[in-house]
Amino acid sequence: MSGLARLCSWGQWVVQRRQLESDMDAELRFHLQQSAEDLVRAGVPEAEAIRRARLALGGIESQKDAMRNSVGIRWWDDLWMDLRFALRMLGKGPAFTVVIILTLGLSIGANSAIFSVIDGVLLKPLPYPQAERIARVFYRSGEYAKFPMNPWDFLDFRAQNRSFESFAMYTHADVQLSNTGSDPLKLSAFRVSSGYFRVLRVQPARGREFDFSEERPGNGNVVILSDRIWRSQFGAAADILGRKLILDSQPYTVVGVMPAGVDHPGNSYNSVAYGDTVDAWTPFTFEGDANNRGSHYVEGIGRLKSGVTVAQATGDLNGIMTALASQHEGDKGWTIYTVPLLQEIVGSVHKMLLVLLGAVGLVLLIACVNAANLLLARSAARQKEVAVRAALGAWRSRLVRQMLAESLLISSLGGALGALLAIGGVRVLVSMLPPGFPRTDAIHVNGFVFACTALVAVATGLFFGLVPAVQASRTDPGQGLHEGGRGSSGSAAQTKLRAALVVGEIGLACLLLVGAAAMFRSLVNLLRLDPGFQPQHVLTAEIALPNENYKSTEKTAAFYQTLLSNLNTLPDVHAAGAGTDLPWTGYDENLGGFTIEGKTPLPHEEFHARYHTASPDYFRAVGIPLLRGRFFDGQDSKGKPRVLIINDVMARLYWPGEDPVGKRITFNDNPKDSDWFHVVGVVGDVKDAPGSKGAEPAFWWPVLQQPFPFPDMTIALRADSDPMLLTEALRAKVRELDPCLAVAHVRLLDRIAEEQFSTPRFALFLIGLFAALALLLAAIGIYGVISYSVSQRMHEFGTRVALGASPGNLLKMVMKEGVLLAMIGVTIGLGCALVLGGVLDNLLFGVSARDPLTLMAVAAIAFVTATLASLPSARRATTADPMTSLRAE
Amino acid sequence: MGKQIDLLQGTLDMLILKAVSLGPLHGYGVLLRIQQISGEQLEIQQGSLYPALYRLEHQGWISSEWGESENHRKAKYYRLTAAGRRQLQSETDKWNRQAAVIAGILRTKAEEI
Repeated sequence: MSGLARLCSWGQWVVQRRQLESDMDAELRFHLQQSAEDLVRAGVPEAEAIRRARLALGGIESQKDAMRNSVGIRWWDDLWMDLRFALRMLGKGPAFTVVIILTLGLSIGANSAIFSVIDGVLLKPLPYPQAERIARVFYRSGEYAKFPMNPWDFLDFRAQNRSFESFAMYTHADVQLSNTGSDPLKLSAFRVSSGYFRVLRVQPARGREFDFSEERPGNGNVVILSDRIWRSQFGAAADILGRKLILDSQPYTVVGVMPAGVDHPGNSYNSVAYGDTVDAWTPFTFEGDANNRGSHYVEGIGRLKSGVTVAQATGDLNGIMTALASQHEGDKGWTIYTVPLLQEIVGSVHKMLLVLLGAVGLVLLIACVNAANLLLARSAARQKEVAVRAALGAWRSRLVRQMLAESLLISSLGGALGALLAIGGVRVLVSMLPPGFPRTDAIHVNGFVFACTALVAVATGLFFGLVPAVQASRTDPGQGLHEGGRGSSGSAAQTKLRAALVVGEIGLACLLLVGAAAMFRSLVNLLRLDPGFQPQHVLTAEIALPNENYKSTEKTAAFYQTLLSNLNTLPDVHAAGAGTDLPWTGYDENLGGFTIEGKTPLPHEEFHARYHTASPDYFRAVGIPLLRGRFFDGQDSKGKPRVLIINDVMARLYWPGEDPVGKRITFNDNPKDSDWFHVVGVVGDVKDAPGSKGAEPAFWWPVLQQPFPFPDMTIALRADSDPMLLTEALRAKVRELDPCLAVAHVRLLDRIAEEQFSTPRFALFLIGLFAALALLLAAIGIYGVISYSVSQRMHEFGTRVALGASPGNLLKMVMKEGVLLAMIGVTIGLGCALVLGGVLDNLLFGVSARDPLTLMAVAAIAFVTATLASLPSARRATTADPMTSLRAE
Repeated sequence: MGKQIDLLQGTLDMLILKAVSLGPLHGYGVLLRIQQISGEQLEIQQGSLYPALYRLEHQGWISSEWGESENHRKAKYYRLTAAGRRQLQSETDKWNRQAAVIAGILRTKAEEI
């Protein structure tokens, strides 16, 4: 209460200063008049009365000062005085001021921009109520860190767990919407268990969520639509609920519409990234044999009960898993991995963002050291002034305060510039973020970021201002005045301090340079790798055949066979193929276990590899080379001997030292002769991503012999000319065969490949930028110190020349000073890099931050920079005039 | 003028609050009122009056407005606020308690111990 009153009164003083000052005058004047009048009335002569009245009240100015002090406005006045003084001082050395403000502004801006990204991506809660309680649930084994769940297991987990308020699962299953009157549309869709939206705590804007009865076979033909689809396809019809839609040629009833802005929580298998569009949700229906625990394709998500930790939930689910493993063979060997949703979404970029923040923090630190260094140089030049003021009785605290006002003014201006740069910088940064970067929509420069920027600015001002301020206030008036005669030569302590600061700058810059150099080499390593396929001139597109019309393997195979042979007749098509997977587009852990003729697996292991299907020209279209045997051809069809193509890793894993071509594997426990598949070819390996350790073993069935229907395939067209020009022809050929089909995700393969390098490229660009900035700052620091030292020693140099020193001698002398600083700085910097280098290890590919070549290159760069930065001052030293020096003696 | 009593440290604020509690006063009036009710035994150091008034106003215990004095001059009048009234009450209580305790001590005779 009283605090508030004081604040109001103080605020009034700040705002209505002029009025209150004149009130103060008027009040005291009134007092004097009254007092004098009373004295006159008592018989004192008027002149004497006025004198006595004045005397009684005391000095008007000191009275007013005491009154101002009463309302706590004095420090405010002092502050203004300090600031005005600081402004005058800054105006005296504009180049100096501009350099410090620019460097601080740049580094504060860069910090704020990076921090905005961190704030949006890592710190802001996800847009679900109490999102911190949502966790994703995966299986884990010795081989797989994250694996999807089995749907029947899910039912057991849901029924038995004691940790989750609600527990659900979902699986990506796109559908085609076809009775809207326009072209068929592929909808990004998920099959979800009842309770999925309860986990996210988002309710349908219209209608309802799925209930348990809709999980039963036959009851699942209901759908919840997204706001987007409801508006774009159904004109936001008010009577949407209860409407019948045709999805994948099946009738579905709309039971709900989600509100706008429901973010998909992201999923790992056939992944749709967090926040990407999802247009429809249908119930997951539990069909088939409840004892089939071997297939894994659904993803668990749950909302933890309040107070339950992720670790407790994991323990709870693991207990259930153990019980399940004792009942079902397929549940053996798994444990549970539970991870908070936010961590699951941003985990991939967490490390990189922190490294970037660390790097940009280092730049700020260097900028601070640089500013301190320049201020020290200035305070040396102002020694005389400070000495005079100290001699005249200025308090030391007052001198420190005044110097601090100067540095705070500089840092505030730098902070303001930084805030402006951050606004622009964040926009640029977001536009540069690699594709697939999570939560880019959440990145904004906001009040919190600005508050942090302001805090950082003030902190830097104190940080870089305190040392020079204390230094200056220590000036001994006697000595300062005495030395004043001939350009005061800065105390030895101060020179040492400045040299130490520059060494620190060089060291920090080296640390950043090592990071940048290591990242550069890592990117070069990645780009140099053979991708295993040829991404140039290939158009890709996805086609999904609706289950209802293409129930059988024959129908599915026939469709793709016809489509591909039609596409192969197009004039510009070099090869047209279809496959279930494209290189570097993610993968699901679709493991097939099998038996190899004449081999028995080790106990507790089985032969397995990833399975795919491919058309005869798929490998030619994508550019995967054939190593042995042959590709598929039109003869590999139903009724013919069954064949397989395997990759090199699989060949070397299961047939080491043998030629796998002609060998046989089977997927049946008791195979007939027709159940065996012959390996007819071995193709080159393609890793999951360019930086993956190695390729996974994999095999392909021919499309015409697919053992079960693969309705979703990717078409790849290798073109002789611009592949984009084939888009329309592709759509036309698909339409010719089935007008109900959508051609989705038309992309160029080289774009897909390119995206794999965008993250390291992005990180390298930023770290490189920061390192360059750091190097520039260090160069400014070296230049400042050497040039100051030279200007102090011109007299000495002149004397040396008089005694016979050659310009070359002087040049060497000065250069040695710069190189010595660099040497100490580089040693410290590289030492730190050796200690901290491990931080970068899992961001790098094929190179370590501790790599000697990297360290040597960095040392060389630092030395060249130090030499260049000392050169101008060294050249100036050679112009020392012996006559000037001699005359001065 | 009789013999004057020096003002105890910290009591000026209390006296000012008391003075303006009897009715709005300008600064000079506060001075006169205190002298008058003390039977001319107390004289306030004029130099500390105005800083004290500003401090009390800053703390929200008195408020001020411009008015016209008895001889038609513009003068700044102070009045007690509700918060000031509470403050005066608590200061008075404290003072009385202290005075009673100290008086009690001073009255003590040797045989009472």
